[in-house]
Amino acid sequence: MSEPLRRSLKFLAVAVAIAGLAAVPLEGQAPAAGATRAASSPAAARTPWGDPDLQGIWNFGTITPLERPASMAERATLTPEEVTHLNEEEAARGDRRLEDPTRDVEVAYNSFWWDRGGSIGRTSLIIDPPDGRFPPYTAQGRQRRELLAVRGYDSWEDRALNERCLVYRPVPVRPSGYNNNNQIVQAPGYVAMLQEQIHEVRIIPLDGRPHVGDAIRPWLGDSRGRWEGDTLVVETRNFHPDSNYEGSGGNRTVIERFTRVDAETLSYEFTVIDPSTWTRPWTGEMPWRRDAGPIFEYACHERNYGMMHLLKGARFLEAEEKGR
Amino acid sequence: MRMVRSWAGRLAAAAGLAVLAAVSLAGQEASYKAPRLAGTNHPDLNGLWQALNTAYWDIQDHSAQPGHVVALGAWGAVPSGRSVVEGNEIPYQPWALARKQQNYRTRMTIDPDDFTVGDPELKCYLPGVPRATYLPFPFQIVQSTNILLFSYEFADASRLINMENHQPPPSDFWMGWSNGRWEGDTLVIEVTGFNGDTWFDRAGNFHSDALRVVERYTPMSPYHLQYEATIEDSKVFSRPWKISMPLYRRIEPLAQRLEFKCVEFTEELIYGTLRKQPRE
Repeated sequence: MSEPLRRSLKFLAVAVAIAGLAAVPLEGQAPAAGATRAASSPAAARTPWGDPDLQGIWNFGTITPLERPASMAERATLTPEEVTHLNEEEAARGDRRLEDPTRDVEVAYNSFWWDRGGSIGRTSLIIDPPDGRFPPYTAQGRQRRELLAVRGYDSWEDRALNERCLVYRPVPVRPSGYNNNNQIVQAPGYVAMLQEQIHEVRIIPLDGRPHVGDAIRPWLGDSRGRWEGDTLVVETRNFHPDSNYEGSGGNRTVIERFTRVDAETLSYEFTVIDPSTWTRPWTGEMPWRRDAGPIFEYACHERNYGMMHLLKGARFLEAEEKGR
Repeated sequence: MRMVRSWAGRLAAAAGLAVLAAVSLAGQEASYKAPRLAGTNHPDLNGLWQALNTAYWDIQDHSAQPGHVVALGAWGAVPSGRSVVEGNEIPYQPWALARKQQNYRTRMTIDPDDFTVGDPELKCYLPGVPRATYLPFPFQIVQSTNILLFSYEFADASRLINMENHQPPPSDFWMGWSNGRWEGDTLVIEVTGFNGDTWFDRAGNFHSDALRVVERYTPMSPYHLQYEATIEDSKVFSRPWKISMPLYRRIEPLAQRLEFKCVEFTEELIYGTLRKQPRE
């Protein structure tokens, strides 16, 4: 073969190779019409980029308390009859219609709008300590908790963070009367959680990057996630010093574990570590149930008539008192 | 290129030129082909994005001018900026132009008995669409296979972009209700269901609850999107109009959407007159 021919063929081969590369999609994957799911088990469902699929709208409402009531003593679980009774009681409470319509007006209307959820079949969300109650508080922790429970009327600073429309759901998530909804959306390298109340999004990077420095203190903390098998483990710290979770503030670290149990259920386990508040870490667990949705916008601060009227009312009463 | 005399050489050269031409055309912004999101044949728009302009002050041409608070000096002054409105004209109906001018005059007025007075952004209200796009804060696009979540750093605002089973808005919202689809590599989002309480900028440009926004996000390079939004509101404007701007990817390593929960920065402003003891 002549030298010019050899060089020309080499050039042609390279040119063809480049043309071949340009034609292949950069991801190197065949495009699919939509996400494919493992046919065998929803619990093993994966996103196309290979992460366990936790996506969907989830409801974490429950009437089961965080701490076991004293009346339950050593009992960790409820019988099916007790669960049915509790759920029926909650449903009746939600549809309470008072016989006297004037009294009905006083409470605005019946309570159909409550959406607390049902019993999870246990006496508490806390599973460790085994007695279903917080471990002992430190003196400092107890003091802070009591202080933060006091509500005054001098200004908005005396009100709870949720009344100020500043933070509604702490980390870990705590169920309440309604809007106990969360939508999980995943992307390569991220899990994002949209909390309906109050429209916040927790962005959880999965790439192992370090937490932000200590000077950055978000109200919802700074989260980092990783997979342990099919479980998403999220570690959150750097909480704002004025945040409040059962008395715990900026010193807490929260470890959450999300596992898809089946198509309709996510298991949510949470461990709270704050040596300045509790003498040891404690752990709770609750199922999140799939919800039809959609997630609604919860605009709180935009029309916070509650705060406005509370302060106006307090000033009015003071003026009235002075006038006496 | 070196002259090649042999037939094989000329063929190779032609093929090489064709490939080079194709590659260089692909390098031009108009036909940039972004990497695909795994499992889809759509561009991957995941990332942290931010506009780099002063449209948040005024979406039309504006000269540098003093701010309203003397103590803020240069911090609080308005920078100069060119219009993001195509043609620099917002086709207000006559009543609406007067209302815009009133908005401008009262943009820093707080009325404890009327939440609708004054610029909603000043009070840390949800900014609406398209204003959320060009605030001086980044936003994260979380793109999954059949839904997108936009998470804005300002006020922790957010919106879900429904890509399937489009429904009309079930209610009216500050951030509207977003139904999205793909046109080639452009993400097209139709936003309706607004409550009419948001503005377009700090200059008082506004709309009603009849607002309909059609947004287009087109990847132009690995580092920027072209953003366009067509605005229609038959109660306020005499015809549709359009804004456009690039959105830049935040490329610093470990770039992260941080938190700007500004409610606590506006409580003194909104409720200050209702304190028991006035502040010194």
